[in-house]
Amino acid sequence: MNTHYSMIAAAVAAALALGCASTPKQPAGSEQVRAKLTALQNDPALATQAPVATKDAELAVKQAEIAQPDVALAAHRVYIADRKVDTAKAQAETKMAEMQRTALNKQSEKARLDARTREADLAKSDALVARAEAAEQKVAVTQARSDADAALLAANASRQEAEDLQRQLEVLQAKPTDRGLVLTLGDTLFATGKSELKSGATVNLDRLGDFLSEYPDRTAAIEGFTDSIGSEESNQSLSERRADSVKRYLVARGVKSDRLRSTGRGENAPVADNESPSGRQQNRRVEVIISQANGAGGGK
Amino acid sequence: MYSLSKSARVSRSRLRIAVPVVLLFTAACASTPPIPSASLQAAQQSIANAERVEAGTHAPAQLGEARNKLSAAQRAVDEEKMIVAGWLADEARADAELAVATTSAAKANAVNADMKRSTATLVEEMQRKTGDSR
Repeated sequence: MNTHYSMIAAAVAAALALGCASTPKQPAGSEQVRAKLTALQNDPALATQAPVATKDAELAVKQAEIAQPDVALAAHRVYIADRKVDTAKAQAETKMAEMQRTALNKQSEKARLDARTREADLAKSDALVARAEAAEQKVAVTQARSDADAALLAANASRQEAEDLQRQLEVLQAKPTDRGLVLTLGDTLFATGKSELKSGATVNLDRLGDFLSEYPDRTAAIEGFTDSIGSEESNQSLSERRADSVKRYLVARGVKSDRLRSTGRGENAPVADNESPSGRQQNRRVEVIISQANGAGGGK
Repeated sequence: MYSLSKSARVSRSRLRIAVPVVLLFTAACASTPPIPSASLQAAQQSIANAERVEAGTHAPAQLGEARNKLSAAQRAVDEEKMIVAGWLADEARADAELAVATTSAAKANAVNADMKRSTATLVEEMQRKTGDSR
């Protein structure tokens, strides 16, 4: 009876001891490690990137979660599990960066290609601009050349004209003075005391007419002079009539009369002395003063 | 048997108790765990590996931790705390491996950042050139 009672007591004590003992507690820190692992496994970007390391971490976390009376061992297992989870995460990040690199490589390549294309385009458009400018220049040069040719032709033409003029003036024996070109017609034009032009003596007048026709901008002043023999009045009248004859002749030759002015100067302005016959002959003259090309001179 | 004195009989019986007790102590001393050589070696190799990949530059904290743990493990061996020494060596190895992984991630990110920068520079230059040509 005594032995039975002690056996029952022992059993109850044992049961009580078992019942009072709380359910085994997870070691300190193991919940946090588990949470870290779960976060990694739920991250869509990282979850599948490092499978081996993640599995390794999972095993370590499971072990860390086992109830463990040895506190030091429990802490050690939690430490190991924590490092393994971090390692798995770092490996996953490395993998992800390497995968992103492919995309970045493509972007870099595209940017380089775009840059090269852009440079090529710029070079092309620069080339086009340069070509357009060159073409413009060519046109300008051609234009300049033809301008130069035209100028040369014009210069030649005026030179030719000037030479022609010079020749004509030489033929006319017109002397340049400050009054203009002076053509002196001798008294062989007229019979003594008369004012009608002698036929056959008009060669110079014809030349003068041609000249005035060719250079229509010129005007002429025709002045008649006599020697001192006879009265001033009759000399004045004769000289007027002689100058007028010359004018009428030129008008008949086609020279417009408003380009010509005739005056008589009588005995005035002798060019030689009146004492000798030759002197008096020289004084008996008609002077035609041809204006300068710009209209200057040619009479007052 | 009646020939032994009383004192002789007492000494012999003490001896019968003493010898087993001595044997017991010897057995107890012989059950000290062995040096955790495998763990220590593995830890050393992991640390050497980390140094090779320049973990000192990219993960200095983790590498320092690994070295500290290994020194602690060796001290524990000296103190014949073999089990703790084994744990410390394993922790040193885990720290070193984390240092390596952290370094790889840091280098990979640096390469990507570099590429992004040079692409951005290229794009910027391109836009500037286009702007100039107008």
